Amino acid sequence: MNHKLTDGGNVLHVGTLARVEGEGAMHIELRDGKVTDVQLRIFEPPRFYEAFLRGRSFTEPPDITARICGICPVAYQVSACNAIEDACGVSVSDEIRLMRRLLYCGEWIESHALHVFLLHAPDFLGYDGAIEMAVDHPTVVERGLRMKRAGNQLMTLVGGRSIHPINVRIGGFYRMPETAALRAFRPVLEQALEDALRTVELVAGFDFPEMEQPYEYVALRAADGYPIESGAVVTSSGAAFEVRDFPRHIEEFQVEHSNALHANLDGGTRGPYVVGPLARYTLNHDRLSPLARDAAQAAGLGAVCRNPFRSIIVRAVELVEAYHEALRIIDGWTGSAAPSVEVPPRAGEGFGASEAPRGVLFHRYVLDETGIIRDAQIVPPTSQNQSSIEADLRTLVEGWTELDDHALQHRCEHAIRNYDPCISCATHFLDLTVDRG
Amino acid sequence: MTAALVVGLGSVDRGDDAVGPAVAHAVAERGLPGVRVVEHEDPTALLDLWVDHDLVVVVDAIRSGEPPGTIHQLETGAGAPAMPAAAWSATGRGGTHAFGLAAAVELARALHRLPSRLVIVGVEAAGFDYAKPLTGPVAAAVPRATARVLTVLEGVTSGVSR
Repeated sequence: MNHKLTDGGNVLHVGTLARVEGEGAMHIELRDGKVTDVQLRIFEPPRFYEAFLRGRSFTEPPDITARICGICPVAYQVSACNAIEDACGVSVSDEIRLMRRLLYCGEWIESHALHVFLLHAPDFLGYDGAIEMAVDHPTVVERGLRMKRAGNQLMTLVGGRSIHPINVRIGGFYRMPETAALRAFRPVLEQALEDALRTVELVAGFDFPEMEQPYEYVALRAADGYPIESGAVVTSSGAAFEVRDFPRHIEEFQVEHSNALHANLDGGTRGPYVVGPLARYTLNHDRLSPLARDAAQAAGLGAVCRNPFRSIIVRAVELVEAYHEALRIIDGWTGSAAPSVEVPPRAGEGFGASEAPRGVLFHRYVLDETGIIRDAQIVPPTSQNQSSIEADLRTLVEGWTELDDHALQHRCEHAIRNYDPCISCATHFLDLTVDRG
Repeated sequence: MTAALVVGLGSVDRGDDAVGPAVAHAVAERGLPGVRVVEHEDPTALLDLWVDHDLVVVVDAIRSGEPPGTIHQLETGAGAPAMPAAAWSATGRGGTHAFGLAAAVELARALHRLPSRLVIVGVEAAGFDYAKPLTGPVAAAVPRATARVLTVLEGVTSGVSR
């Protein structure tokens, strides 16, 4: 990864920003020690997908949109299913919802374990990356790989494959996994749950820069349990609305410096908003299992977490929740459920959302009476977080202007990684330029 | 346990990123005894995939500035020096590959989990656009890349010890 800097220059141009999913660009301008401009530039394929979906059958979005991102395909599949089933006026059974939740746990595990151990922890422990960290802390990295592998295996067990699950369809699944195979997987999850609890303790011991985000938090909240595969939208200012009202509250808009859409909430009058682990945790702390909540408390997290650097602790807590939830679903599984419900097409508009590892992922589809897609809209979490990433950097860089370029680069990368931006959903390159004027 | 493993790395849906799976597919069609062939998108999965294999061939797209379709071959493994990350980290730009092939190989080296012989066959890519097929020069390179892999495997499949 090319992220070395030429120290001391006025303008810095850096290759691919390391350890961020996908690639993008960041530009920072400093004048007399003041930050005059911060721009996150993203070049965005999801727009291509929206166009690509028009004219396709309503049965195709789970497979097509899963390919937008190799890290969160299940999020795309589940949001697509939720939206199309909504358009067709169909509800799935509790068993199907639970099996989606189990599959989704696998994705959270895979994504969070990758981010916590291989992408984010090196920032806190002072390493350039996971390779250098692995030399000094092999058991920690091995633990992370073991935890990630449990997620891959769970996705293969339920989804048929670990990268782009092939078992998901509108209305449910092509087939349900064998109950015996689910039960046989318990020991792997139990070991991983132990690993996750140790991980919460480990990351709680890191040093965290002081920072409190003033932004509005937005997450799903479900009738019960921690929000994963569905829910209505709630915000930290007390707003609450159904997923079908998402387009009335969340407005996407173009900014000159990026061809990805940014997003604002209720006209942007309350400033940028944040989706993802911090928002999810803060708005659903009471919905964590007692085990995860106790682990969070022991790690020094209150019911509200507004320090983006502590997102690594929240991800570790969510790993505990995901393994625990997977075990709970497997233990309660009776194996008698039909794998899918019938979804006859009808003309209409449908809305769906779920909690991708990085935050709320919204889909909207308009179908004609034969089930052909006439319009499609996808709002990925990283697009929604762009404004708050820029706002964080504006705040943080003010305090870092005395740093040399190399140190500044690392701090900025660290701050961007707090969001685990999945820029492969939205971009080609992430270069960082700093213009000191 | 099979003697050799061939991994086609890349996303089949992202233009030339599909060249690894395409070559793996061509190798699998030979049905060579003692050779396991898999396709995968996630470079970190390599650490688990190659457990118990002494000879591993990974085929991936690469961008180093050479003309599209150019084939690169790199011998590495437990005793070899580190991979030149600058060129190889650019592979798989279309996928999940912020943690790229070079990073996965070097992570495995740090954890003492590299196979004794690892051969990487790279095909210079032209583009990683969504939902696009292989570009012409890269599609044309698939038989040549396949031949390279088969040559590496010769010692195994002919029963001659290396």
